[in-house]
Amino acid sequence: MIIEALEVVFLFSTALMMAYLIRHYVFTLTVLRRTKKARANVAADAKYEPTVSILIPARDEEQVIGRLLQRMTELTYPRNKLQVITIDDASSDSTRQIAEEFSKRYSFIEVLHRDKKNGGKGKASAMNSGLERSTGEIVLCFDADYYPQTDIVEKLVKEFVDPAVGAVQGRPVVLNEAQNVVTRLVTLERIGGYRVDQEARDNLGLIPQFGGTVGGFRRSVMEKLGGFDVSMLTEDTDLTFQVYLAGFKVRYVGDAECYEEAVDNLKAYWRQRHRWARGHMQVCFKHTSRVLRSKKLNTKEKIDGLLLLHIYFVPVLTLISFFVGLSLILSESSQLVNALWLFVPVSFYSLVGNFAPFFEIGIGAYLDGRTRIQWLIPLLLFAYWYNILICTKALLDIFAAKMFGKSQSDWAKTRHLGNGNHYIVN
Amino acid sequence: MKFECSRLVLGLFLEAIALCLIASFRFINIEATATLLIFNLFFFSLTVHLNGTLNRKLGVLALGNIMGLFWNFVLYYFAIAGVTFFGEPFNVFYAVSYPFLNFMWIVSFWSLSLTVLPKPKSTPAEVKP
Repeated sequence: MIIEALEVVFLFSTALMMAYLIRHYVFTLTVLRRTKKARANVAADAKYEPTVSILIPARDEEQVIGRLLQRMTELTYPRNKLQVITIDDASSDSTRQIAEEFSKRYSFIEVLHRDKKNGGKGKASAMNSGLERSTGEIVLCFDADYYPQTDIVEKLVKEFVDPAVGAVQGRPVVLNEAQNVVTRLVTLERIGGYRVDQEARDNLGLIPQFGGTVGGFRRSVMEKLGGFDVSMLTEDTDLTFQVYLAGFKVRYVGDAECYEEAVDNLKAYWRQRHRWARGHMQVCFKHTSRVLRSKKLNTKEKIDGLLLLHIYFVPVLTLISFFVGLSLILSESSQLVNALWLFVPVSFYSLVGNFAPFFEIGIGAYLDGRTRIQWLIPLLLFAYWYNILICTKALLDIFAAKMFGKSQSDWAKTRHLGNGNHYIVN
Repeated sequence: MKFECSRLVLGLFLEAIALCLIASFRFINIEATATLLIFNLFFFSLTVHLNGTLNRKLGVLALGNIMGLFWNFVLYYFAIAGVTFFGEPFNVFYAVSYPFLNFMWIVSFWSLSLTVLPKPKSTPAEVKP
């Protein structure tokens, strides 16, 4: 009886993992086939210049904020249509002073101060304050450690010529890749996630994800949604689903590149990914039934939406299938279990944020013209095990919070030390 | 003449791949053949879209098959030696670890093989590589 129950669990978990693998195989093929063709885009030649507000939430970002604000002054978008708002979220360092210096020199740059009483409550809360101050038809957001291309606003904004588009997402590229193994592995994650995954989802008319930075949204849509949900740790994923459930789309713009400073040690990686995993799981609990019941989403969007919502549960599922499969093999299981066991290791060479397997990452790196970083793909095995621990801990934390009524929105901010400054070519 | 030579090389690569598959079935086991088949299928379906001549891609694929065959030979004889020394329980250990050990060469070879194909044109970056 126990053996049969374990077999059902094993079959279910491996079937789900296979579904993800097939999904990503299709994504990889889609990107490979579309690469040679021009991207079909309604906004390809459109001249569309709405007023734009750029929000930059910053908390203790003195090492990087000057770099980004300097870049804001170099943007090619017409200044009379541009408003840049630095949201100083109760910083205790010189972030405020640096932002004010820029504000004095450039009239389109403004600073919004949040004191210790109102600030420090997370990015969503800071973004809502910025949103109240902003006046642009389109609102873009950049994290303080980012360094965008000078024409990024034009590239992102042109998608909004289509009234069905509620939000856009550009492509983050790691700035400090060469720093160490951790930053190189994060680079692989970004390549798999954006060069292949987001691109394919956009091409296939599925659900490209708004990532909370290097992207933006239509103000009217955001007003309809009532701003960011401050109870969510990953307000970006939450917004993605809110936008779709309201009947709008998210577009991914792969050529709108923005350089970011990746976490450079395992402790910072753990903190960041733990927040992402926990936040994503929160969003999953919030939106799963809404996605299933929605009349605004078509079948293919619903399937992709559900797979996307549950993506941070997959590492936990892999762990379960590993131990259940192991116990079944030790107890002389059926031929089917033995055959399916052959596919379990594929999952261990995958990313976590989007479950991109090794072949997808390899193709992404190849399409980017990268050679040496491909050598590190086998190391994904270690990163995956690390992420299994992170996701399992995140899930246990959510259960513990539910049981003991603890707040689920404890904000763990990633520290930026300006390590990426060295890599910028001036 | 050049065209014929190219076809001859192509034929040799295909023959090498076929021989590896037959040898894995004849001298190792069905799992080794299945592993090579899976590797061939996914390698070919993905790399066919990349830059580079068919000869080069098939050459890399043939090399992968030879490496896979060799790897599986080693694993197979390792299993025989293990059973001889440790008895029947070693078979269970082998069954559990076999797919994990096999994916080591598949993933490593896949990553390295992409580096020998010509790069696509990429846009110049504003940051140092």
